[in-house]
Amino acid sequence: MGERVAQHVQNTILRDYCNKIRAEYLLSGTEYAMENSFLMLNELTNEIPKINGIVTFSLFQLPKEYSLRNNIYKNILMQNGELHFALEGLSIITNTDIKRIEDIWMVRQTLPKCPENIINTEKNERQ
Amino acid sequence: MNNKNLFLSNNENKICNKYLDQGYVVAPVVDIEALSWIRQKFIFIIREELCIPDNALDSDILNFTHESVSIPELNDFRLLVIKKINSLPDFRKKYYQVAKSYLDIIVGNELSMQLKINLSIQFPKDSSSLLPIHADTWSGDSPFEVVVWVPLVDCYETKAMYILPPDANQTLNNNFKKMAGNSSDDLYNSVQECVNWIEIKYGEVLIFNQALPHGNRVNEESETRWSLNCRFKGVFTPYADKKIGEFFEPITLKPASECGMKYSLPNITE
Repeated sequence: MGERVAQHVQNTILRDYCNKIRAEYLLSGTEYAMENSFLMLNELTNEIPKINGIVTFSLFQLPKEYSLRNNIYKNILMQNGELHFALEGLSIITNTDIKRIEDIWMVRQTLPKCPENIINTEKNERQ
Repeated sequence: MNNKNLFLSNNENKICNKYLDQGYVVAPVVDIEALSWIRQKFIFIIREELCIPDNALDSDILNFTHESVSIPELNDFRLLVIKKINSLPDFRKKYYQVAKSYLDIIVGNELSMQLKINLSIQFPKDSSSLLPIHADTWSGDSPFEVVVWVPLVDCYETKAMYILPPDANQTLNNNFKKMAGNSSDDLYNSVQECVNWIEIKYGEVLIFNQALPHGNRVNEESETRWSLNCRFKGVFTPYADKKIGEFFEPITLKPASECGMKYSLPNITE
C-alpha cells in the first residue's frame, strides 16, 4: 500500500513475532520489487506443508485485488498452513479468520474516500 | 453548554452535553455481567500467579496487590497479566459490551477498536508507573478517538486519574509555550489548579476525550489501582499514526457499509 519499512526492521519484527508465537523462524524471503509481484510469496506457499506457514511483515503486503488475496488464503489453508501478519499481530489459521482480515482490507481501501483532514469551521468563520 | 439535538432522547442529549462540557462521562455499566466476567478473569490470573489463598476477597486481591508484588517486579507482573488476559478470545468483545451503550451515543455504532487493551496498575507511593500529563493527540492519536477507561477497583483522589476540562485546555492551547515551561512537570504545575480528578467506582465506566491533557500522579492512597483502557473511534473517521490493521480493527461494520465497500459498477468493456 505504498509504504516502506527498512528490511532489517521488518526482519526484527518478524523474528520477534515468531518468538511470541513460539514458531521457528526459518528464512526470510524477499519479494521482488516490481509492482504486483507475488512470485516469492507463491514460491513460499508452495513450500507448505514442508513449512507450517508464512509470516508476512504486514497484511497490506498482500495483493490489492480481493480474488488474488483469496487465492492465497485458500491455497495456504487447503494445505493446513497458517498465514501470519507480524505488524498487526493477526493471523489466518481457519476459514473464519479470513473475514476479520478482509474487513480490515475493505476499510483500508475505502479510507481514501473518507475524510482525511479536520477542518475547523468555527475557526475559519472567525478569520 | 446545553445543546439539544431533537433527534436524540433527553438521556442521549444529557450524555452528549456532559462529554462536550467536561471532556468525559462517568456512567454506570449497563452490561454488568460483561464487567464481572472481565474482573473474574483478572482475579483468576492473579490468584494463580501469586498463589493467593482461596479465602481472600476479590476486592482485597486487587486493592492490596502491592503487598504481594514488589515495585521492581511490577512491570513484568503487569505484562504477564495483560498478555494472559489479551489472549482470551472474548476479552475484547466483553470490553466493548461494557461501554457499548455510551459509545453508541458519543462515538457511533460503526466502530474501530484498539487491537490490544492496556492495563495500568498503580501501587501506593510508586513513582515508577506514572503517566505524566499528556494528550494522546500530541503523540499521534487522531482527535476522533475516545478512551474507554474501566476501573477494576474504586478510584478516588490520587488513586484516580485527572483530566483538564475543555475550557482550561483552550487557555492552555492559546498560551502553550508560556505554560508548558521546560518539562511535563512544569506543564502540570501550570494547570494543576484546573484539572478534574475523576472519582469512579467499580461498576462504572469512564469515556474521555483523549485530546484533552490527562494523566496521574503518585498514588498517595493506601490501595492499588487497577484500570484498563482502550481506544475506540468511528470506523470511517480520520486516522492519525495509529492505523487500521496495526492498531485499530473494525468491529461493528454495518451491512450497508459492507455492501458499499464491495460495490462496483457493471463492467461494460470486454
